[in-house]
Amino acid sequence: MGRIALNKVKKVFGEVEVIPPLDLTIDDGEFVVFVGPSGCGKSTLLRMIAGLEDLTAGAIEIDDADVTEVPPSKRGLAMVFQSYALYPHMSVRKNIAFPMRMAGIDEATQNAKIDAAAKSLNLTDYLDRKPGQLSGGQRQRVAIGRAIVREPAAFLFDEPLSNLDAALRVGMRLEIMELHKKLETTMIYVTHDQVEAMTMADKIVVLQAGVIEQVGSPLELYHTPRNKFVAGFIGSPKMNLIDGAEAMKHDAATIGIRPEHIAVSKTEGTWKGRVGVAEHLGSDTFIHVHDTGLADMMTVRINGDIDARHGDTIYLTPQADQIHRFDAQELRIA
Amino acid sequence: MANRTIPRLLQTPAVLLLLVWMLVPLGMTLFFSFIRYVLNNLRRPEWTTPSIENWRGFGNYKFVWNQDGFWFAIQNSLLIVCSILFLTVILGVLIAVLVNRSFPGRGIVRVLLISPFFVMPAVNAVLWINMILDPVLGLQGLAVGGINEVIAGLRNAPLVGGFFSLWPEFNPVSFRATQTSAYAVIMMVTWQWTPFAVLIFMTSLQSEDQQQKEAAILDGAGRWSQFRFLTLPHLARPIAIVVMIQAIFHLSLYAEIEIVSRGNGNKNLPYLIGELANNNIGAASATGIFAVILANIVAIFLLRMVGKTLME
Repeated sequence: MGRIALNKVKKVFGEVEVIPPLDLTIDDGEFVVFVGPSGCGKSTLLRMIAGLEDLTAGAIEIDDADVTEVPPSKRGLAMVFQSYALYPHMSVRKNIAFPMRMAGIDEATQNAKIDAAAKSLNLTDYLDRKPGQLSGGQRQRVAIGRAIVREPAAFLFDEPLSNLDAALRVGMRLEIMELHKKLETTMIYVTHDQVEAMTMADKIVVLQAGVIEQVGSPLELYHTPRNKFVAGFIGSPKMNLIDGAEAMKHDAATIGIRPEHIAVSKTEGTWKGRVGVAEHLGSDTFIHVHDTGLADMMTVRINGDIDARHGDTIYLTPQADQIHRFDAQELRIA
Repeated sequence: MANRTIPRLLQTPAVLLLLVWMLVPLGMTLFFSFIRYVLNNLRRPEWTTPSIENWRGFGNYKFVWNQDGFWFAIQNSLLIVCSILFLTVILGVLIAVLVNRSFPGRGIVRVLLISPFFVMPAVNAVLWINMILDPVLGLQGLAVGGINEVIAGLRNAPLVGGFFSLWPEFNPVSFRATQTSAYAVIMMVTWQWTPFAVLIFMTSLQSEDQQQKEAAILDGAGRWSQFRFLTLPHLARPIAIVVMIQAIFHLSLYAEIEIVSRGNGNKNLPYLIGELANNNIGAASATGIFAVILANIVAIFLLRMVGKTLME
């Protein structure tokens, strides 16, 4: 079981209110991603759940038991850190065994669990090595192995993939998702990377300055962002946000249109602009369009390729039913 | 490979200087240890100049080996060095961990902690043996006298008087005596060198990874386990450095031994060398070579021990 509830949780560092009172419920077995720009308080929130950071006010419940005053080790949570935080002088085996050794579990059980964890994480050949002799991905797997053997109520991941290169990151992302499917344990995952958030989460929590902007499934956030911030943060490339006269036409302070919902033509269309940089990815092309008179720069995503050179004139046509409208308070107009 | 030549050439003067610096004294010591060379001998004046003609082979070594006090000097050297190392490392780790926390006045406490290291060895010895350890006028004498007075007073007290009248009078210990002078040296050098250990351990503690500690906290490690399984292994290398540097320094202790008891009951190898060098340079050189060998054995042995016990 791993149902976590935050009730009016608040954190103040000195004079600064990092997290204003905040409520959140995480259901058992859910994969929840906290996402937001750096400094938004997502790591602080995770550390408060882990017990590494005290609460200024409020309460945290795990499986309906108040754990606000319970020390970190007694909360039944396991954490994977960005820096892996492996014990450098211990072998992989001893690293994985450490939490069990602290719990006083007998050696036979320890070994059985280590072998099982090592097998599922492809670490069997590396059990006698020191962390310093492993690659970044292997180190991260050891850190995960150390978390698994504790059989925690929930796993907490603090930007676990930030130190890995792009290719490994995609691989580890899949491995963590596989692990979640297999263990069906609650996982809370902190990242600033919205791609990780979109691909991995059952539920995304978008944070800004300690405030929850929106909670929902990845597609909910994509299709119906609650406000301008979420609209701009979720989705890659970013949504085009247009203020002023063009927005007034739609009875809104701001309208947003995603790059993939704009049709492109060289001869006719709603908006006229000049082609800037075009990023050719093969399957897709991102075209940056300038001088539309709407926003500094508009991004358009088209399938395949288009023969558009730098400086060419281009016409854009938004799909009318995909326009998001926001009012003066930046909230979505239904 | 031509591009490697110029850097090598440029390094040569430094390397040569270092070689000369180390090899010439060692070579001279080796040479003297194999010849008869004394400063003053009326019957054999030819021995007073160092010359290959006076070759003695291993004679000097045999002479030293069989001399009274040689084995005692080795034992005493080891006793002093090992005791000081043991005490400074343990005290150093404890104090460093304690001072590493933040508390008001930490800066001043740190400066005060380091200050014994700035005292000259001879001054240190004079201070300790005269002002602290002296059985009559030193702090020890005053403290023992004070305790005796308190006990004498309590003997006449109601209720507990009977209990205290069973107590004997305490006698102060003379640290200039044959049996105790080594302990005096150990105490004063430990006092002086603990700050060195503290300083090195403190800098090392500041580089300890905080996320590892947090991971250990989540893994259920208490304060002792964190210290034992994270902090101590993290300190293994600085401990090895402290042990090595101190072993080298304290194998050559001289001033303290001279001042405490003029070597009475407390000679170590350097002191023996000093005594022999009053006249018999050949024997003194042979003792010096023994000292070099002992230093190497001690260094290797100690480093192994530190490495094995701390690195799991």
